[in-house]
Amino acid sequence: MPREAEPSLNERAFVIQALQEGQRIDGRAFDQFRKLDLRFGDQYGVADVTLGKTRLLAKVSAEVTAPYTDRPFDGIFTITTELSPMASPAFEVNRPTETEVLLSRLIEKTVRRSNALDLESLCLVAGQKCWSVRVDLHVLSHDGNLIDASCLAVVAALRHFRKPDTSMEGDTVTIYTPAEREPVPLSWLHSPFCVTFSFYGENGEMMLVDANLLEEQLRVAKLGGTAVEGTSLIQCASAAVARVKEFSTLVDAKLADDLKRRDKGGLLAELSAENER
Amino acid sequence: MRGTVALGPYLTGAIIISKTTLDSKLARVYVETFIMTVTTEPEALLSHLYKADGSATYSHAGYTVIGAVNGPIEAQKRDELPEEAIVDVIVRPAAGVGGTRERHLESLLQSTLRQVILVNSFPRTLIQIILQITVTPENEYINGKLVQANVNLPVLPALLQTAILSLLSASLPMAATLTSTSLAIIQEDGRPHIVTNPTARQVEQSKSFHVLAFTSQNELILAESEGAFTLKEWDDIYGAAYRKCCTTASIGDTDTLMDEGTTGADLKRFTRSIIEQKTASDLHWK
Repeated sequence: MPREAEPSLNERAFVIQALQEGQRIDGRAFDQFRKLDLRFGDQYGVADVTLGKTRLLAKVSAEVTAPYTDRPFDGIFTITTELSPMASPAFEVNRPTETEVLLSRLIEKTVRRSNALDLESLCLVAGQKCWSVRVDLHVLSHDGNLIDASCLAVVAALRHFRKPDTSMEGDTVTIYTPAEREPVPLSWLHSPFCVTFSFYGENGEMMLVDANLLEEQLRVAKLGGTAVEGTSLIQCASAAVARVKEFSTLVDAKLADDLKRRDKGGLLAELSAENER
Repeated sequence: MRGTVALGPYLTGAIIISKTTLDSKLARVYVETFIMTVTTEPEALLSHLYKADGSATYSHAGYTVIGAVNGPIEAQKRDELPEEAIVDVIVRPAAGVGGTRERHLESLLQSTLRQVILVNSFPRTLIQIILQITVTPENEYINGKLVQANVNLPVLPALLQTAILSLLSASLPMAATLTSTSLAIIQEDGRPHIVTNPTARQVEQSKSFHVLAFTSQNELILAESEGAFTLKEWDDIYGAAYRKCCTTASIGDTDTLMDEGTTGADLKRFTRSIIEQKTASDLHWK
């Protein structure tokens, strides 16, 4: 497979000099994101995120399995991120690249290990039956900032997802098909989002958000490479808070829109077998 | 008319629901949600991915597939063929990891597309075709196992169409384009009955299921069958598929096409019109 084309020396010098003069090659401000769009599929648990020319698709699925023996009260939650050659011919099937390892590690950390999804609520019969929730993340087009976009896609897809309703009578668990009972949403605790900052220049004095592929190839700090000032880290954190609030309102608004689209004639409430808490 | 054929089993299902819940309003909601997921007319979008050389999204009969083509690109030393290009097909399910079923589909697609692409023009290169399935029709009556993806023959026509459209979008030279359709034989009122583009439920109930593909020169290029059927039935299937894939009325002769009552979309005309639209928009600046 061909390797990803490295930016040429001229290109490199041009982009860096432009940054030093306070310009980005696509004319954005340093703290400006590209156009972000989120769409949901006709089926539950499908989110399609477009960030500039980057495009991702997350799909959530669930099935009943036996829980892990060391965690009998918890359900199973897995996120798979596999980059196919669709994103770039440099990616190979069944051979993870550095990008892919970094991406899956960060998504695991932010969504799974932060307990955004209540795993105990996925348990049906302790030690015997639980839900296994799986998120498949497909990168359709790669133009930088995969991490922020995929985190948003995963969170949106999980919040959009509905799992089949179940009921317990003694020891028997009944799982209802969508035709019998309206599926129920997952028990969602909080919505984490990622904001990536890229540092440029000799001492990392220039800071960008939402770097595109070319900018990503040029940044100095990779895999925790160079040291960054403590104050700029605090700056990053406060900038990220504002950004994450925007993401959160976007996802909320899109979810509300989607619910309105599905709830024709206002009958979904009648179909629900869930109790008000 | 096509719409009612495709929705037939769902409608009856909805009536059963209304009996159990004793509310006819609820049945209506179900019918509406079903309609939302079933597309009767094929739809396609070309060259919408930026990184790939060619790309297409195709949706028809409840399936949506995104395809991307990279090629001709450098092949790995151990894979390259001295006299022709390698055609590499990758099928990825929407949920779960690909298994033997996907490998089987890949081999079918590979052997079909290899005959159509002019592989001899690009020796020692690689033509990579990636097909990502995004939507498959859901059976509302079964909670399917999803971790092991359950992709099978019914998705094959959509994969083939997407592959062809992506190849066209990548401007790779081909000897012909393909049109493909799926058919099922269903026992109805004691006699066999052919259904084109069967729904997931119809495939489940069918006696036999067939996928046929024809080149634009009206030659059969792929025939895959599942289930039990007689030679006579296969001949009928061939006839029905031929009518669906190969007959296209001459341009400006749409009325006779309507009168003939061909079931659903004319695939050959569809591929043609998609490419015509694409070329027209590409040459808009002239």
